[in-house]
Order: sequence, then C-alpha cells, then structure tokens
Amino acid sequence: MAPPVPAIQTTRLTKRYRRNTALSDCSITVPEGSISALIGPNGAGKTTLLRLLCGLSEPSAGTALVLGASPRQAPESLAQVGFLAQEMPLYRRMTAADHITMGAHLNVRWDGQSVRDRLRGLDIPLDRAVGTLSGGQRAQVALALVLAKRPRLLLLDEPVAALDPLARRHFLATLTEAVAVAEGSLTVLLSSHLIADIERVCDHLILLAASHVQLCGETDELLAEHQILVGPKKDTGPIERAHTVVQATTTGKQSTLLIRLGGPLLDPAYQAEDVSLEELVLGYMGAAAPAAYAGLGPADPAELTGEER
Amino acid sequence: MTWVVWRYYRAQMAIALALLAAFAAVELTTGLQMASAWHSLLRTCSATAVNGSGNSCSGGSIIGFLGNDMRVLSVLAPAIIGILWGAPLVAHEMETGTATFAWTQGITRSRWLLAKAGWLLLAAAVWGGAVSALVTFWSGPVNAMRGDQFDGNFFETQGIVPIGYAVFATALGITAGALLRRTLPAIAVTLGGFIGIRILLDGLRPHLMPAVTTITSLTSNWSPPGISWVLGLNVINKAGQIVSYSGFSSTEVDGLPVSALPQACQKLVPAGYASGGNITSAPRGNPLGPVQSCLQSAGFRQAVTYQPGWRYWPFQGIETGIYLLLAAALVAVAWYAVRRRDA
Repeated sequence: MAPPVPAIQTTRLTKRYRRNTALSDCSITVPEGSISALIGPNGAGKTTLLRLLCGLSEPSAGTALVLGASPRQAPESLAQVGFLAQEMPLYRRMTAADHITMGAHLNVRWDGQSVRDRLRGLDIPLDRAVGTLSGGQRAQVALALVLAKRPRLLLLDEPVAALDPLARRHFLATLTEAVAVAEGSLTVLLSSHLIADIERVCDHLILLAASHVQLCGETDELLAEHQILVGPKKDTGPIERAHTVVQATTTGKQSTLLIRLGGPLLDPAYQAEDVSLEELVLGYMGAAAPAAYAGLGPADPAELTGEER
Repeated sequence: MTWVVWRYYRAQMAIALALLAAFAAVELTTGLQMASAWHSLLRTCSATAVNGSGNSCSGGSIIGFLGNDMRVLSVLAPAIIGILWGAPLVAHEMETGTATFAWTQGITRSRWLLAKAGWLLLAAAVWGGAVSALVTFWSGPVNAMRGDQFDGNFFETQGIVPIGYAVFATALGITAGALLRRTLPAIAVTLGGFIGIRILLDGLRPHLMPAVTTITSLTSNWSPPGISWVLGLNVINKAGQIVSYSGFSSTEVDGLPVSALPQACQKLVPAGYASGGNITSAPRGNPLGPVQSCLQSAGFRQAVTYQPGWRYWPFQGIETGIYLLLAAALVAVAWYAVRRRDA
C-alpha cells in the first residue's frame, strides 16, 4: 500500500517581502486527518505560511503541496481548502442568510443547510447584519460558512484570539465536532497562542520562530523526545555530546536544561523530568528569541508568556 | 456571481437611480418649458431671426437657461461614479479584508473581478447614456438656435461621448483601487487622472481627423457650409505660407503687418494707418480696398481651416472609441494586478 499523501507538504518554502523575510526554508508535513497547531511568537511567519497554503500569496522560493497539488487559482483547487483569516472578514452590512446565499453562488459544493442548522442551534440570528453580532457570534458564522464548503483542509489563522473563554470553548467544540463528523477526511491547521486550547484540541504541533521551523511532529512524540534536567551547575559538555540542549538556564548553583533526547540518559547527577507542552513551546521560543530577550535571562520559562505577544 | 454583485451593489444602485430621477425631473420640467417657448417663437418668427439677438424674435431668454457651465457636467457625472463605484471595487474589499473571504470561495479571482467590473462598467455606460439622453433632449431648442455642436458645452454633454467618459472613469477607479489597495488614494488618483486625461484628449479633439482648408480670395465672404468647426482663418502669401492671422474679417487685412506687405501694396496704405505699424481699421468707406486688390493680385489669399459639420458623429464615435479602448486597457491592468499580486 502506498503511503498516504500528506495534506500539506512544504519544501524549503520561503517568502520574502521587499525589506524582510517573513518565512524562510520552511519544510513541514501535516498528515491527513490531523488537527495541527501552528505556534510561534508574533511575526514568526504563521500568517504568511497560511496565506501561502491557501493560494492568497505566491512563494518567493520553495514549494508547497496542498492535498497533493500546488495551491493555485482554479475552482477545483479552491473548493478543497477553507481559509479563515484572523479578522474573520465578512460583509458587515449583510446578514448571515445573505452570506449563505452568496456561498451557494460562489461554490460548486455548498451545504447551506448545515450553516442554518448550526447557527440556529447556537441561537445566532440569520437575518441580522453580521456587523451587529458579537465577536463570538461572528466567529461562529465565519466558521460555519467555511465548513459549508465541505473542505478537505481547513486553515484557521488565530481563530480564537479575539474571543472570550466561553465563545472560545464553543468555537473549538464546533471545530472538533466537524472533524469528528468528517471521519479523517478533514485536516485542520490552526495558529494560536493559547497553549491550553492547543493541548485540548490538537494532535500535531508546528513551531515557528524567527521565520524558521523549530519543531514539527506529533505532540505526544515531541513531548516524549524532550526532557528537563535539573542538576548542579557544571560543564554541560557530556550532555551536549549525547543530546541536543535546546535551552539552558542557571540560577545560583543549579542549572535547568531542556534537552532533546539523543539516547538514554546516563548522568545520575541530573534529575530528569517530563516536559509539559508549555515548557516545550516556551523553551524553543526562548531559544530563538532575539538577543535582547536572552539578556533578560528569564529563569522561569513561564515569564516569557508576557513577552510573547 | 451575478447575484453576489447585485446584493453588494443594490443600495448604491438605488442611490444612483434616485440621483438620476432627480436630474431627470429638473431636465424634463425646464426642458418642456424651453421647448414650448421655442415653438411659440417659431410660430411668429423665422428660425434665422430667432438665431440672432437684439430683436423681438431673439431666443436669448431660452439660451439663458444654458450657462456656459454645461461642460462641468461632463466631468462631474462620470467622476461621481468613478469615485463611488470604481475606486472602492477592489480597494474597499482589500481594506476591510472581505477580499480574503471572496477569494477563498470556489471561484477564481479573475472571474470575481471580471464579473464585478463587467456589471459595473455596464451600469456606468447606462448612467452615462441616460444623463446624455436627458441633456440632449433638454438642449434641443438651444442646439437649434446656436448650432455650436463642436463647442465643449454641447459636444461633451450630448451624443455618445458621455458613455465613453463614464466607462473610462469607472475603469480608472477600478484599476487605481486594484493597484493602490486603498480607497481614498484611489479616489484621488481617479479624480486627478480623469481630469488630466480629459484635458489632454479635449486638446486633441481638433486633430481627430485631418482638418479641411479652403482657400478663398481676400475679399470674398465665404464661410464653411453647415455647422462646422472653424479652427483657423489665415492670410497666406503666394508661396502658401501663413503670413498672419486675420481674425474673422474677410474685408480687412487686420493684423497683417504693413512691413510684411509687398512694396507695391505698402504704398497704397493710407498715411495715418501705418503709424502703429499695423493696419487696424477703416475709418470711413473702405480706404483699404486698393490695398486688398493689390494683395490679391500679388497672390495673397485667405485660408479657412475647419472641421466640416458632418463630422460631428464621426468625432463622437472616435472620441468614445478612444475612451472605451483606454477603459479596456485599464481593466486588463486591474485584472493582472488582482490575479498575480499577493492578496
């Protein structure tokens, strides 16, 4: 049996703008049917990557394969990919019902009834201008509309960033339900800053920082591959030879190392701990942070949370 | 896509129709008044008498309706829709982000643009045609009296050129918006560009077809037949070179410097005339008669350069065609920008 074609496969994907490089040598693989999280500090290139994948912009170098083909301006290609931009743009003066009719005119495959059912279930009025709805309701309308295309790939750019915790929960519930109903034929790639949400919803992780890919893989595997070592401050040479030290911080006589395992841990001087998703993400982000951040030398990775935005 | 365009623009279409209705009300009421005044004049006076001024038959009161500002309408009417429909077509959707919504549905950006632009350009053509039809009806009596059909106040507000202007202004707005991606700068470029191109092509109008030059004797009273567009009245010498512009008088040689006259003819110029170096006017009778006869026999002639009256519709057609071609080129640029540039 041939290996399944990944939903997304990019090779050294690069996007340069006039003055800066937004994305550099990005090679990632997203398996079909997964819910993947795209994490990284602001300006890391998350939005750029998503826009390249849905064909809204063209790469400067490298290739992107989306559902086995490069994203292009063709109806059959557009029909398979749903994209939700961060601002959830909708026509403010039009009603949800108008948007449903519009979708029916603009798409070959369109399930308008699903939008109506979903919005009625959430008590969202179909006949009011969407500009007068709350942010959470608007996000639900936008998500329902993008799902009505019955896409095989859903790209969501910080869909829950502007929502309150309850609206966020409802939004993610709608999303996971849609994935469950699709039974493996829907792949989701969503960018977010909220690690708790990612932990609950996503099974894959892509970490972008400083326009480069730092991590890409299944969340559980990535967590199992990393350990936090706490031990006396001493030469880390032997550790570095056997493993990859992602981030090292020292406080007083004690040093804390985030390592990617390269084999069995042998040094009994260190106490090994499993790493949490938050520690993993912040460790990589901290390591890739500019020197000015490094100079601040946060001993506790949690302190980075404030710097992240 | 048709439904989408209709849903998006129905409010603006209603506003445009209301504006058009208000304009039609003004044009029809004053136009009918003018027409009835004109017909009652014709019952008692001949058309040629009406054409004159200062007599009881003069149609001056009718002409009074028409200021010399009709030309402003030929800038305003197209500019309004270029600004309101053209400029925001792409730019507003990029500003509000709804372009991302539209461009990730199941149709290509090309189709999206061509459908929207196509319907709007059609609406612009209808708008231009309706305004022109109203003005043409309204101006009926004035047209008959004045007959300056090539004058900007007439030529640019009637016939088919207003359609060309409206379509061009809208296309310019669409393209400016597609390139600049912001509505306000696009509006500024549309307004400036439209006025600039209008000034340029208005200046080009006398040369749309090669002008006709008729050479007559200096003493003849000849003028081009029909309602023609006289571009120049010149005195030419034996070699056919223009020696001076003589104004509109055919009985005098106004403006022709005495020093430019042949020696033999200079002698015939009355003494008092040469004082200013120019022959300016005749005090009594026609003391310049001998000078003119002398010039005539020396080979001097009057040259009238003009566009014949029958060229009115060819000129309308050519000018409309130029604006429609420019509009097509602009839409092609917008199409390229929307298709190829990153959203």
